[in-house]
Amino acid sequence: MYGGGNTFEGIKTDSLAQEDPGMLAAFEARIERGEKIEPSDWMPQLYRKQLIRMIEQHAHSEIIGALPEGTWITRAPGFKRKMALMAKVQDEVGHAQLLYSAAETLGKSREQMIDDLINGKSKYSNIFNYPTFTWADCCFISWLVDAGAIVNQLANAKGSYGPYCRALDRICAEESFHLKYGHHCVIYLASGTAKQRQMFQEALNRWWPPMMHFFGPSDKISAHTEVLMRWKVKMGTNDEMRNQFLDMYVPKIWELGFTIPDPNLKKNESGKWEYTEPDWEEFKRVINGDGPCNKERLEVRRVAEARGQWVREALKTPKTSYVTPLA
Amino acid sequence: MNSLDPRVNRLPQLKEVVLPKAPLDQFGTYEVFVQPKEGKPFQHEGIVHAPNLELAWVLAKEAFTRRFTCTSLYVVDTRDVYVSPLTEGDKNAYDLIPEITEQAGNKKNFEIYHLVKRGKQHVHVGTVQAVLPQEAMQLAGKQFNNGKIVYNVWAIATDTIRFTTDEEKELWLTLPKKKFRDASDYKGGDKLKAFLEKR
Ligand SMILES: [Fe+2]
Ligand SMILES: [Fe+2]
Ligand SMILES: [Fe+2]
Repeated sequence: MYGGGNTFEGIKTDSLAQEDPGMLAAFEARIERGEKIEPSDWMPQLYRKQLIRMIEQHAHSEIIGALPEGTWITRAPGFKRKMALMAKVQDEVGHAQLLYSAAETLGKSREQMIDDLINGKSKYSNIFNYPTFTWADCCFISWLVDAGAIVNQLANAKGSYGPYCRALDRICAEESFHLKYGHHCVIYLASGTAKQRQMFQEALNRWWPPMMHFFGPSDKISAHTEVLMRWKVKMGTNDEMRNQFLDMYVPKIWELGFTIPDPNLKKNESGKWEYTEPDWEEFKRVINGDGPCNKERLEVRRVAEARGQWVREALKTPKTSYVTPLA
Repeated sequence: MNSLDPRVNRLPQLKEVVLPKAPLDQFGTYEVFVQPKEGKPFQHEGIVHAPNLELAWVLAKEAFTRRFTCTSLYVVDTRDVYVSPLTEGDKNAYDLIPEITEQAGNKKNFEIYHLVKRGKQHVHVGTVQAVLPQEAMQLAGKQFNNGKIVYNVWAIATDTIRFTTDEEKELWLTLPKKKFRDASDYKGGDKLKAFLEKR
């Protein structure tokens, strides 16, 4: 799972002025050649900072994203769906572990990242601040939110930071099961009873606006990130990613006979998707804490953290100590 | 809490502010190596944090061998991995290892790993006997340096590694039974086709 539309800090143009020009040129040349940057390589402070922020947000999205689906494991229809959903949610938490390790190679410990999450300092994908009312909402996430995540993750796997790319290669391989499983669930609802079809249609109506928000604010209003694109931290603009998602999945949704709640949604002659501009004020409001589930999501993490404390303390030994991962 | 999930509603109330954890209240770091197939070399896969080597092995099994075919894995404390400089272009990492004369003392085994393409993983290439890790790398430079450029060399004393026992390998025999975790187990094509024909 992964929300695109990472929030990047506004970049001051002078933030590169303190960097050694020779080192910076060699760094950029390496990226230009398509080579990866490894933890022990020289890198500009801005690159390190923005990568930590991005990978950390991605990791948080995986563990928070496990919550709206995890809640449906006990109520999933039938044994096979329960097994599959359990395996999927376990994968998502595993993705968080892989991503935290990748971010750690840049010098921020996993503890610090988790502290920042539960204290509300770090962001995660906004879409998980919405509730899963029915089994169909859960199917929407498994199929389409994961599909959106895969669009982002496949792009980011071609980025410049070695440890992040390697984590993403593993993650993408696991995601193919999520996508097929999610599609399978929705095909069953679509070809089921009228009630089942209605359930999915209602879930689709609820989730479409947050799904459009998923890739982040439109290019017209989002922060300028040219330097992050040049450094292959960001691999496409928010609108490019959104367009790619629509192109791949709108036909599949229509094929199943569902309607997408946007009368203006269509592909124009130049092959670009047109749609009603998503409500970016709502997006901002929810990402800043005022969504239907923000409080619940963080509270669940905080309780888990507090409840696990005695276990971590009991297991701690002076014989081992934290060090930054190698690669 | 006013959640749709009754289990969330049953969670205990916490004080509004959870105090930040003590600095680096965190476990140690362990590097994980996996053998994907019988006869293939072990390769570096990533890390886990754990309170000790034994639990690191357990967590590594869960994190790295849950989904993909795997015949064996091992873990080692990150502090026990000796690392050469990382090079680029046509510079060989072996050329940057300072010369060292043969050491007196008890020799032990060191496992040697190469990074032959930047951005990829370190792969096991063989074992050498030496007193010091630096000496082990120097020896490896003679034995395993086949003209290809090596960008990074790791050396790990064999006795610091937690290997998988033959008995434990049975753990992975269940992988084929867990087909529900494979994309191939979700063929919706026929159902979709039937649905489309009916519409
Ligand atoms: Fe994921
Ligand atoms: Fe996923
Ligand atoms: Fe997901």
